[in-house]
Amino acid sequence: MKNRLKFNYIVYALAVFTWLSVSSQIAYGQTSKKNTVRLRADYFKIMNDHIYFDIKASSKIDKQTIGVAHIDILVSNIVNDDEIELGTVKTNMEGTCKFTLKSLSTLKVDSTNTYNMRFSFKGNDAFKRTSKSVSFKDANIVAQLTEKDSIHFIQATLFDASTNMPISERLLNVQVQRLFRPLRIGPEFNSTDNNGTIIVPIEKDIPGVNGNLTFEVVLNDSDDFGTVKALVNAPIGIPIVDESTFDERTMWSPRNKTPYLLLILPNLVILGMWGLIIYLTLNLFKISKP
Amino acid sequence: MEVSDKLIQDLAPRKFGKKGVIWTISLIIISLAGIIAYIDQVIKGQVVTNMNDYALWGIYISNFVFFVATSFVGAVTVALLRLTNNAWRTPIVRVAEIISLASIVMAGITIMIDMGRPDRLLYLFIHGRMQSPIIWDVIIIPTYIAICFLLLYFPLLPDLAILKEHFSKTSPRLSKLYGKFSLNWTGSEKQKRIQLKSIHIIAILIIPAGFILQTVDAWLFSTLFRVGWDSTNMGAYFISGASVAGVGALVTVLYVIQRAYKLDHYITDYHFDKLGKFLVLTCLIYLYFNINEYVIPEFTSKKEEITHLNHLYSGQYAPLFWFVIIGGLIIPIIVLLFKKGRKPLPMFYIGLLVVVGSWWKRFLIVTPTLLQPFLPVQGVPEKWHHYFPSFHEWIITFATLAMALLIITALVRYLPIVPIQRTADEQEAIRTNKPLSS
Amino acid sequence: MENNTNKSRRYFLNNGLKLGIASLIGGIGLSKIASKLYGKTDTNSKNTIELMTTDGTIVEVDSSEVVEVIHSHDQEKKYNLREGMPNRKFVMVIDLAKCKNALKCQIACNKHHYITGEHAWLKVYKMQEEEDTAPYWMPTTCMHCDHPACVTVCPVDATFKRRDGLVLIDNDRCIGCRFCMAACPYSTRVFNWSEPDYGEDSEEMMHMNMAHQEHNSIEFAGMPSKIGTVDKCDFCPHAIKENILPHCVTACPNGVFYFGDKYEDTVTNGSETVRLSQLLIDKSGYRLMEGLGTKPSVFYLPPVDRLVDFKDGLDKFTNFNSVEKNK
Repeated sequence: MKNRLKFNYIVYALAVFTWLSVSSQIAYGQTSKKNTVRLRADYFKIMNDHIYFDIKASSKIDKQTIGVAHIDILVSNIVNDDEIELGTVKTNMEGTCKFTLKSLSTLKVDSTNTYNMRFSFKGNDAFKRTSKSVSFKDANIVAQLTEKDSIHFIQATLFDASTNMPISERLLNVQVQRLFRPLRIGPEFNSTDNNGTIIVPIEKDIPGVNGNLTFEVVLNDSDDFGTVKALVNAPIGIPIVDESTFDERTMWSPRNKTPYLLLILPNLVILGMWGLIIYLTLNLFKISKP
Repeated sequence: MEVSDKLIQDLAPRKFGKKGVIWTISLIIISLAGIIAYIDQVIKGQVVTNMNDYALWGIYISNFVFFVATSFVGAVTVALLRLTNNAWRTPIVRVAEIISLASIVMAGITIMIDMGRPDRLLYLFIHGRMQSPIIWDVIIIPTYIAICFLLLYFPLLPDLAILKEHFSKTSPRLSKLYGKFSLNWTGSEKQKRIQLKSIHIIAILIIPAGFILQTVDAWLFSTLFRVGWDSTNMGAYFISGASVAGVGALVTVLYVIQRAYKLDHYITDYHFDKLGKFLVLTCLIYLYFNINEYVIPEFTSKKEEITHLNHLYSGQYAPLFWFVIIGGLIIPIIVLLFKKGRKPLPMFYIGLLVVVGSWWKRFLIVTPTLLQPFLPVQGVPEKWHHYFPSFHEWIITFATLAMALLIITALVRYLPIVPIQRTADEQEAIRTNKPLSS
Repeated sequence: MENNTNKSRRYFLNNGLKLGIASLIGGIGLSKIASKLYGKTDTNSKNTIELMTTDGTIVEVDSSEVVEVIHSHDQEKKYNLREGMPNRKFVMVIDLAKCKNALKCQIACNKHHYITGEHAWLKVYKMQEEEDTAPYWMPTTCMHCDHPACVTVCPVDATFKRRDGLVLIDNDRCIGCRFCMAACPYSTRVFNWSEPDYGEDSEEMMHMNMAHQEHNSIEFAGMPSKIGTVDKCDFCPHAIKENILPHCVTACPNGVFYFGDKYEDTVTNGSETVRLSQLLIDKSGYRLMEGLGTKPSVFYLPPVDRLVDFKDGLDKFTNFNSVEKNK
């Protein structure tokens, strides 16, 4: 009887021990090795064009922040507790990706005219699951080129798209599109007036290909409207003149564009010398003939 | 036309004695060692040299410049002396032609050793740009090789015919070879006419060719911005330097051959005396150019120029610089101004000094300038601040010198050193008091 | 007996068919449910398109939402690699007043071009003209001269000047004569004296091999370096054609490097974007060794009104080293 009890006791102890170790293994494997991912999504709207979200996934590993590459981010539109899935994007080597939509019409707003987006990552072996919510309202910028006293201006008005009311006291940037980064036009801070409008003069001497310039009026990274950008094409720039010597015959051109003097003179000398050498070689043959 | 047997006996090529064989075998061994070292360089890359991004040209290039300079001897002795009617040139012209040919052929080979990608050699011809001084070099060197060969070959024809007869009994196979290369030379009027006209054309042609060769070589340096290279003097300086190197090499080789073949009846003290005067003349002209290069910049004392000159006068290159100037130039001038100094044996030593001085002079032209760039030398290992050639570079360079001597040796072994036919013609002209036909 | 087998066969066929149809319907139903669960879009069209964005990510987008995005620059047009991008002339401006020898530019350049030799392409010099004049730090890149001495002397057209101002090297053409290195007064070219040492099977090697197989050697200098040829700073054409600034410009923590298009008269250091002509007037820009007539494309702003002290850079100064060795 006593032995039996001891035996049972041992079995139970063994079972508990096994269960504990197995479950701790499972728990250990699941939580302590995985890193957290921080998601960031910025909303951009190009007027009369498309909208997109710049998504960045990063993680702090060994005290260094690195981009999380090649993970799938699910993009969805949250409407009154419904999650409408829109698509999936995969991050690149640097941990960034871009999700583009033709327009906001494919999305639905909630009762406050706000668009709610959710960007989620369902996790993998190395990283924990995470998601990020982004909310924004739709705003419009209407921009045009105007002229007064032979000075050109960019005039732009900021509207709340849902109410169509102008929004005042917002800072808009006016810039001209350039390679790498746009160049600011006018003062650093342009605050929209009571009519939601700004007007900025354009300097006369901005160069552009064939004189074409593209101006941007931007509401930059606002909390409620994201980033909204309006483009204005204006052929008011100074046409670019190609100053390169690429088409000319120079000392540094490739061989199909050698300067004429260098083509003619040396070749004359070579021809002269080798002409004589050939003549002399022929003389050798003449000598050898009896 | 009749050439005396004694003449032929004296001047015909003879088999090498023990010394000749040892000499030849040593040269072959050195050449083989160089080829092995070069193969190692091709496999591992030029990291086996001590060149770096600052001393980017080393003794491969200065050796190349030396060969180009020495090849000028053909133009300056054979052609120039001929056009100025210096009849004493006859016994020495063949040696001069041989040295010329050997040098320019080795110059063409040596420059390929310096290429980082020798497997792309053909690109120089397929993709060559006429704007580049290197392409000018690539054009003029084969041209000069062809002219030097013709300069050697045309006057050789009658001698080859004579040798064919001479060896017809003792070495029939050799005789046949001589026969083939003599191009059926019979001494007929037609053949002589063509030959003399051709020699005349070559003698005129080789002078501008030689001048262009030396000048293009100089322009490899003076078309660049660097201190010590950016000199308007360079072209003339190199022509003058080549004359010195060429005549010095001629004197040295001539002495050795004269002794080995006991040709002192043909290559006499008189010839050495004349050559000595010629060498002194070229050295004086060269001294003039050196003063322009190395003394006059002190006048304006521009910073970069002075730094460069100080490296040579009193810096790391001082011992070499003074050896080259005093040993390679001043002492030869002084010694050769005296009749006693123009005797064969002192001429041999002076010639040797001149040649060695010339070789190191070209090193002083190439490397010190490269180690003094416009921007400071920073961000590179300490050993990059200096340059001394590596084991590979020395072996390969010695091998190229050995190969040049090998070519000279081979040609001296099988060709008559003193032109037989011409000597006979001259002797005949003196005897009969008739003028020489050319 | 036969009756039984017939019966069982019929039975088998009958039931088998029923089972087969049932499982087929069930399977279709299951797959539909499954696809719904996995979030495929259920809008009108079931077609999705896989697109690759400009930075290389694969995106699955419902085809009705895909619209052609018109870029305002014409860089997507393919251009002849030896001719370069049309309507551009690239220039760089280096502000010596801000440089304190942080060397982040050199580290980034070495990393992105896989430089393993002993000589970096971008060097920061410790300059002092005379004892009485002030010392300063001077980063130098290739000047991409408009009258390039290096291009003039190249015998095989291995280095060439493009319409967009860049001077590049075709490492498959170079014969290693080093004449260009002798010609360059700015000492900016380096030579690959040996095979580059990337370490055995390193990840860098694999990443770079992929880049090299897809791209050409002209715009991807150093990937990999070829033995017996010359290399130098190339103004990062593989980046600038994607509208990404060269690596040194983005790596500098002090905003020393400005880069841009001279025809657009605009340069930027990543955060500040200014008119080039105005910058050069305001801060009295100049070029190095102007008197040599090389017409460099790199302007320098003199070290006046310094924001940093020269001495702060001394502890990072390594006179005999410019490439970090971490093998």
